[in-house]
Parts: sequence; C-alpha cells; structure tokens
Amino acid sequence: MRAIKTLFFFYRKIIIPALTLSFLLPLFAAGLISFLAGVGVSFVLLLPLFHYLGYEIRYPNEYYFYYNLGFSRFALWGLTVGIGLLVGTVMLLI
Amino acid sequence: MNGLHVDSVRKQFGNRQILNDVFISCIPGEIVGLLGRNGSGKSTLLKIIFGAVQAQNKFVRVDGVVINSLSKANGLIQYLPNDGFLPLHLSIKDIISCFCSTESCRSVLQNQFVNPFLKHQPGQLSGGERRAIEILIMLNSGAKYLLFDEPFNELSPLYVEVIKTMIRLHSSKKGIIVTDHNYEHVLDLSSSIILLDHGNTKPIKNCHDLVALGYLPEGANSEMLKHHTPLL
Repeated sequence: MRAIKTLFFFYRKIIIPALTLSFLLPLFAAGLISFLAGVGVSFVLLLPLFHYLGYEIRYPNEYYFYYNLGFSRFALWGLTVGIGLLVGTVMLLI
Repeated sequence: MNGLHVDSVRKQFGNRQILNDVFISCIPGEIVGLLGRNGSGKSTLLKIIFGAVQAQNKFVRVDGVVINSLSKANGLIQYLPNDGFLPLHLSIKDIISCFCSTESCRSVLQNQFVNPFLKHQPGQLSGGERRAIEILIMLNSGAKYLLFDEPFNELSPLYVEVIKTMIRLHSSKKGIIVTDHNYEHVLDLSSSIILLDHGNTKPIKNCHDLVALGYLPEGANSEMLKHHTPLL
C-alpha cells in the first residue's frame, strides 16, 4: 500500500502536465492523425520527457526520497516507460 | 550476525582511488562518527553502503543479510543526503505518511517541530525546519540503520541541539553513522570515531589522533580537544 502511495506521489508531479499537453498537442495535428492516437503517441514521448526534466534536471536530489522508500532510479525509469507505453497503446487501440 | 557490516569497499573515479578496501561497522545503540577531509570519500562511502552509488567492489551485510541493491536495503538502511531531499510538491503530512509506520506516524505528527507545518510543502520551510523534519522522519522510520550525511548542514545552534537530542533519543534502537564537517558536533554525538584518510578508515582512540593524522591542524582548537579527549 505504501509502495503504491509512493508511486502515486512520484507520478503526480509529472503525469498531469504530461497528460494535459498530450491532449493539447493532437489539436495541432488535426486531420493528420486521429485525436486519440495523437494523445497516445504524445503521452509515450511526454511522460519520459517530464520525468527527465522534473527529476533528472530540476530536482535530482528528490530521488533520494524514493530510494529511501525502496525505488531505484532504474525501477522508476522502467515504470515511466512502462506507464507511457501502456497508456499510449490503450489510446491507439480505442 | 547482528549489525551493519561493511567491508572491502573500493571506489575509483578515473585514475583516482577514493576508497581502498574500506571497512566500517555499526550495531544498534551505536553512533559512529565518520570524519575526513573534503574529497576523502565520506559521502561516497555512505552512498555506496546505501546502494545509491556503484562501487568497484563492496560487501554490505545487515543482520546477517547481504545487501547488494537499493531494494534489499529498503526498510533496513536509510540515507540522509547532505542536501534536502524532500519532494517539493508534497505536503509534510504526505511525506510523513510515506516514511513512518502508523504508530510512529502519530508521534511524529504531534511533534512540536512538525505539527505546525503539516499542511506546508518543504519549499515553504526554512532550511533548519526542513532538516529537522528530514531527520525526524528517518529516526521514526522502521529502518534499523541510518546514514546521516552532514545532518548539521546550514543549521542554527538551536536546531543543532534539537537534532542532537533527537538522534540521541532514538539511538538506543538504531545504529547510526554520521558524518559532518562540523567535527565538534560529530565528536559530541558519537560513541566511536572513524577517520577516512587516503582511502582507508582509521579508528580514532582520542582526539589527539585527529591532529596526528592531519585531520586537524596542530595546536588548533586545543580547548575543544581538551574537552573531548576522553572520546572512547
């Protein structure tokens, strides 16, 4: 339970801006790609980007908070890519 | 086998050997002070023990269990980095709920240094307030071994005393390794002292060893040394 809460806190910072931008970007590509597919592709790219900007560049020390709760940097990056691909795939399949 | 046992730690940055077969151990109830000059590898050693930094070689065992990754250290060892690490987008209450068990959570929430800031985010607190909270949540976590990297960094004398009291209060059940450039606080707090010198750990029997080994300048702080000489 604590692990889920920790991950929720980790992604809360990056998932909202990534989702928001993912819904906005396809509006500029209307006609070229279906809206939901655009959202999916954007999210696959934007979630790792926000992870990189939010944690690797801006606040790298915050990693220690998650290390102390048992999550390595490798595990967090794996989850980011995994969540991005999962949401992206679902969007493409809808 | 009870205790935190660290052995054969070797770390090299380029051609520079920082740690050379380092050994350090700690048992619950013990506070080990780790001293060393700038760049001697104190922080690197703590990060290697914790698992946040890879070493060329290391052996870490906690209460008989070999620890070779961060996930294995989870719940056993916690590391306080020398700079603040609390996520700035979370409230103090959320942070405490992640770190502390239900029982200890209650006492932390009621603590006089924490209670007024429960709805605040770390960025809204002063450096001292934030540091005190960081240390308090670690002391109240389930981890049996704590690695404190410069806990007195940027702290006013009042907060230093508060933090020293908190550490002493919890040290009976936990093994703590503490390093800080403010060596007077480390000497005051620790039950044993290790000097990291040229990549090796050297046990310090009395404060004059620190002068003899070149950690302190000769003749300096003689009053302080006199005060702390019966170290062990």
